[in-house]
Amino acid sequence: MAIPTHWIVTANFTEDGAVAWRRADGSWSRRLADAGLLEEAAAKATAAEAAQTEQREISDPYVIEVHADGTTIDPLTARERIRADGPTIRLRRPDPGASR
Amino acid sequence: MYQYDEYDRRIILERAQQFRGQVSRRLAGEITEDEFKPLRLQNGLYRQLHAYMLRVAIPYGLLSSRQVRKLAYIARTYDKGYGHLTTRQNIQYNWPRLVDVPSILDELASVEMHAVQTSGNCVRNITADHFAGIARDELEDPRPYCEILRQWSTFHPEFAFLPRKFKIAVTGAPGEDRAAVRFHDIGLRIVENAAGERGFEVLVGGGLGRTPLIGEVIREFLPKRLLLSYIESILRVYNLHGRRDNKFKARIKILVTALGIEEFRRRVEEDWEASRTPELELPDHEIARVAAFFAPPPYEDLPPDDRALGLTLGRDRELGHWLRNNIVAHKVPGYSAVVISVKKPAIPPGDVSDTQLDAIADIADRYSFGQVVVTHTQNLVLPDVKTSELPRLHAELCALDLGDANAGKLTDIITCPGLDYCDLANARSIPIGLEIAERFDRIDYLNDVGDVSIKISGCINACGHHHVGNIGILGIDKRGVEFYQLMLGGSPGNDASIGKILGRALAQDEIVDAVEKVLGRYLAIRESPDERFIDAVRRVGFAPFQEAVYGSAGSSDAGGD
Repeated sequence: MAIPTHWIVTANFTEDGAVAWRRADGSWSRRLADAGLLEEAAAKATAAEAAQTEQREISDPYVIEVHADGTTIDPLTARERIRADGPTIRLRRPDPGASR
Repeated sequence: MYQYDEYDRRIILERAQQFRGQVSRRLAGEITEDEFKPLRLQNGLYRQLHAYMLRVAIPYGLLSSRQVRKLAYIARTYDKGYGHLTTRQNIQYNWPRLVDVPSILDELASVEMHAVQTSGNCVRNITADHFAGIARDELEDPRPYCEILRQWSTFHPEFAFLPRKFKIAVTGAPGEDRAAVRFHDIGLRIVENAAGERGFEVLVGGGLGRTPLIGEVIREFLPKRLLLSYIESILRVYNLHGRRDNKFKARIKILVTALGIEEFRRRVEEDWEASRTPELELPDHEIARVAAFFAPPPYEDLPPDDRALGLTLGRDRELGHWLRNNIVAHKVPGYSAVVISVKKPAIPPGDVSDTQLDAIADIADRYSFGQVVVTHTQNLVLPDVKTSELPRLHAELCALDLGDANAGKLTDIITCPGLDYCDLANARSIPIGLEIAERFDRIDYLNDVGDVSIKISGCINACGHHHVGNIGILGIDKRGVEFYQLMLGGSPGNDASIGKILGRALAQDEIVDAVEKVLGRYLAIRESPDERFIDAVRRVGFAPFQEAVYGSAGSSDAGGD
């Protein structure tokens, strides 16, 4: 059975450049799992609106396509998977990992 | 090295202060990202996939130990404990918070450093031969001219918004080009004319990226005193006629190719005749004033070789490999230049930790008159070490995990940050470099294969210089999946050549095997151990390597993507 395709809205936090995922309630999270799933048209409209109204907190929102099976959200491209998971190489010092 | 005067100090402090205000307004939401982006880029602040990235300028790669300590402090205090050496002899930090960047700029200013013009469509950091001032084959130290060009180009109002970024490199060694001047927008080679006068051979229109081109000679001999006026005319013609409608066709190389070198030269000379004014002339006393900052350190009068070193060599095999591969002959008897390789398995090429930077600063003070040079190959050089002290220095570097004997060898790989960090990348480059480093981390194999360069880029912008690697690897995206093109035959030096694609793109789990097959075929076909990889490729062509990688030479017809 094909895994359903959805769209989510992503951006980067202005304060530190970290990847931001838009929750269904309109707030922004640092965890992909929190992202709100949308249809393509709704996602694009949300991103466009966020670019106008939420540009203090986040920068350059856009939409990406994901597979979601109810428990996990998987971006379809290597780029977005790396954005979600962080660099695939060892960092010299672990990210202190801000959570919100 | 050059010391800031009051003017240098003031403009850098004022710029840092100005940026603090801009950051404050961005964080308060008073300006949008679209408004802020050009401001942050003018201060070397990019935003990558996971965080901001601050690129710090290191003019011609030269650092004092005091500056190295400050870079360590910044890595420790504001980043994740490391910095990344770049292919423009700069250092960049991959994780600064926006709110901290003004403080970082203040810290940099306190040691006469900054991040201006490390981004944007302006004249970027001027690079030079990393053995400048000490190389035996050098006609003249290029750094005073780099410094003069740095001062001229910093905040130059006419050239603040060029069609695209602009890179200049200078070498004073006619016999060996270690600065890749033929692959710069302007390359300068210090030469002597028939009358024995020193001046510059000027090359223009070289570059890598989407359209790799070898620079062409626009002027065979330019007297030193006319350097600035002539460079200014080249930039003016480019600024007026370079394309601004398409960023992929905006570099000067595209203009030079479109016009032809003859017509481009005619336009430059025409502008030069019309615009040359006395204030841009470099009088001898001004050149001497700047050159005095680069006066040789107080070398001791030492014998040219060291018997004790020879005795040690026989006992210590690791030291022997290091002396053979990482030590470069110095123009002063009894001294050597040391390449500190920061290329190790499991460490991204060019990454240096804060503790390593602090230790390198101490080592520079004790062994090399307090100076360190960043190379465009993402390593460090201690330029002035007493040859007799090399064994002791090697032991200290080994204790810091910096004693690897692979300078100029297969595992001394250049990589761009790639898709692990970069917003522009199509594929990861660092993991490929690490896999190659791990697979071939055997000193006997490295010495057997000899001098061969591997350069890896994660996209066509070619920050990893893949076009000029003896073996080049270019990451591409095929519907969201990373693939890699393998190229052979590139060289950045006096024998400049641009690598060509060997065949169809390879999957991530195929590319390192392919490199191993290429090297295996080279070892099988070379005429003698003295025949370098690049010479063998030039002699036999691609067919044996295509057969090794793809099974048949004809498969290369599939072409690259």
